[in-house]
Amino acid sequence: MNSNLADPAFWSRFQFGFTLVYHYLFPQLTMGLAWFLVYWKWRGLRTGDEKYNRAVRFWAKIFGLNFAVGVVTGIPMEFQFGTNWAAFSRYAGGVIGQTLAMESMFAFFLESAFVGALIWGEKQLGPRNHFLAAIGVALGSWISGFFILVTNAFMQHPAGYRLEADGLLGITSLSAYLFNPWALVQFAHNQMGALVTGSFFITSVGALYALRKLHHTQARLYLRTGTLVGMVAAVLVAFPTGDQQAKMVGRHQPVTLAAMEGKFAGGPMAGVALVGQPNVATRRLENPLEVPGALSFLAYGTFQSYVHGLDEYPSDTWPDNIELLYYSFHLMITLGTIFIALMAYAGFLNWRGRLESSPWFLWLLMLAFPFPYIANTLGWMTAELGRQPWLIYGLFRTRDGYSKVVSSGDTIFTLIGFIGLYFVLGLLFLYLVGREIGHGPGGEGTSGPEQVSAETGVGPGGERSA
Amino acid sequence: MIAAWYAIVSFMLIVYVGLDGRNFGAGMLHSVVARTPEERRQVIAAIGPLWSWHEVWLVGFAGTLVAVFPRLMASAFPGYYLALFLILWCLILRGVSIEVGGHIDDRLWQGFCDFVFVFSSFLLAILFGAAARNVIRGVPLDAQGNFTMPFFTDFTVRGNVGLFDWYTVSVAVFTVMLLAAHGATYLALKTEGPVHDRSVRYAKRLWVAVAPLFLAISAESWEVRPGVPGHASHNPFCWLGLLIVVFSVGTLVSGLRTGRETRAFLASNFLLGGLLASGAAAIFPVMLHSTLTPANSLTAYNTASSHTDLFLASIWWPVGFALATTYFVFISRRYAGKVSAKRDNQGFY
Repeated sequence: MNSNLADPAFWSRFQFGFTLVYHYLFPQLTMGLAWFLVYWKWRGLRTGDEKYNRAVRFWAKIFGLNFAVGVVTGIPMEFQFGTNWAAFSRYAGGVIGQTLAMESMFAFFLESAFVGALIWGEKQLGPRNHFLAAIGVALGSWISGFFILVTNAFMQHPAGYRLEADGLLGITSLSAYLFNPWALVQFAHNQMGALVTGSFFITSVGALYALRKLHHTQARLYLRTGTLVGMVAAVLVAFPTGDQQAKMVGRHQPVTLAAMEGKFAGGPMAGVALVGQPNVATRRLENPLEVPGALSFLAYGTFQSYVHGLDEYPSDTWPDNIELLYYSFHLMITLGTIFIALMAYAGFLNWRGRLESSPWFLWLLMLAFPFPYIANTLGWMTAELGRQPWLIYGLFRTRDGYSKVVSSGDTIFTLIGFIGLYFVLGLLFLYLVGREIGHGPGGEGTSGPEQVSAETGVGPGGERSA
Repeated sequence: MIAAWYAIVSFMLIVYVGLDGRNFGAGMLHSVVARTPEERRQVIAAIGPLWSWHEVWLVGFAGTLVAVFPRLMASAFPGYYLALFLILWCLILRGVSIEVGGHIDDRLWQGFCDFVFVFSSFLLAILFGAAARNVIRGVPLDAQGNFTMPFFTDFTVRGNVGLFDWYTVSVAVFTVMLLAAHGATYLALKTEGPVHDRSVRYAKRLWVAVAPLFLAISAESWEVRPGVPGHASHNPFCWLGLLIVVFSVGTLVSGLRTGRETRAFLASNFLLGGLLASGAAAIFPVMLHSTLTPANSLTAYNTASSHTDLFLASIWWPVGFALATTYFVFISRRYAGKVSAKRDNQGFY
């Protein structure tokens, strides 16, 4: 239990958690938006309709800003494995280093080669190559997600390794490691979460323009594509991917499942608490409102299935912050359910052709965009808090993994630096993205590519002409 | 196998220095070769579209280090703690200043971004230079393979050393000059108009200044690690590196004299690569020298991961490398040609 503020391990955890949560705000939008760009680019190629190209141009600018912040906040993560988690890197580097390096070789090189071309190079590349650039960036971002999830899956459910003679982990089977069942399920779940973020963001901008009665064609396109993809992704993130993920936890980390649900006593007909506050000291869930049997059914397939309780396990194998884990999981589920309802109703309105003429609902859609970010973050908090007290589940404890030579003073110093830098970066990002959204995609013939660039060669991304 | 991985990891770092070194150089010279706002955007456009691709080599280097030399990573990164974080923060500032400067057409805003760009480029050159020479000089590794190092102690090079001492500071100065010369050579190739003319002048002057500094730090290195040159003379790769350096110097001089800028810039890359390669070969197999006792030094052999790990990595690494090179060749052909202040043919601003 190391929530002790004097503990260097706590500060290394806090720093990694902070930089990771902040960083992941950006890649989730990158991964979510990328396939929208590919889709619109493809529609533009097929139909020759200029509205698709205009949408790509507009979203590529936002994509570029988001991508840049994702890159610069991601680079420190690669180094923090070594700086703050040296004992872990020494122990497991031979295994997890494989995917960290593969991510650079197979994903980052692909993304970063083409991202500039996607944002600025429409004229230079011509439509077909520009489409290929969009595919390259989208593939790169998803491949990168895959390698990181393989790395995380190894920490959740190690596979394909052995303990070498020198006491460190080595890899035995690259395929067992890369196609760890946990990784596949988690990847599917995570990517759907990213798509939810992307589609809510696009929908939100569409709703803003619709409410303001601006950029009519574009607003309609964003609302339609956004809500359609949003509905599919919101369903898929819950079922089957989220469901499978929870079953995986139940199978391989039963103590984590018990903590996620605030289950202290085990038994059949275990319920899912809709409300309730875990009290770890008295080992009970206070003020519970439960659906009886639901947990037994969801985790193991029948209502009579036995669900283990925390009481059955020694308390030094319990996740070290059960309260936060419980709330993270439950809030994620609540938000996920709301997303499905919201997008299903949007789909209904869309089908009846009334989406753009329902101001109150557009307001809801416009204001909804932060919540997928919150849900994705809560999902990762569930995964990472649930894994505790292990760094590699069952093999290596978190308290053994941090760098012994780095003092709390060093870690707090760099943490403060990150907080300051990221705060400024966040303000800058919001301002610049807000500005792009304020300028809008141009449209209805006011500012197309023909307006700029004829003699200057300045591409449609050239803000100087805006 | 281990020696091959030592070479691959060194290669990744060398490629990174060659690619991003020109960006640092261009960044440091930004305020002197570009005088008007348009010219400043021109310099940014010259390095613009692929800076993140360049930076991936650093990330790839770090990731590969975790995979193949996990014990080295576990010693070096916490040891260099503060210096590494300064580097990371500067990389963040540098990247952001390149990306967002052009987003707002405002003099104050662009002036500020340009300042951040120049400042972080300088600091990066200094920190990378000092960090690299810390590897040559050695760090106070204990028997467990751990060390901590303050920024400076008594400025001497033995025993309880700090990040900065007389040796690493002089190497940092050399690195600044070298990368600035490299960047000027690149800008001469990549720009036209007044920026080009100034870059050519700076390139010539800076390369002239680099030569005596190089001799000085070579002499210093001899003094700091007297055993290394003798050890290195048995390593053919060391001689190969030096041969490349000699040829590159000749090509560079002729390229600069006759205004053949592609030739000069290629030579500049090979010069950097040759210097780093002969350095890497000279210290092999020691990767991190202990200033306390040589027995504590970390070598490629005592930090490498298991044979299977290395074997598997040598299957996928060449594939990834081939793919990365393909993308680069494809995309950099789209960015061929010079960037002008009036007409940005990169579509970058």
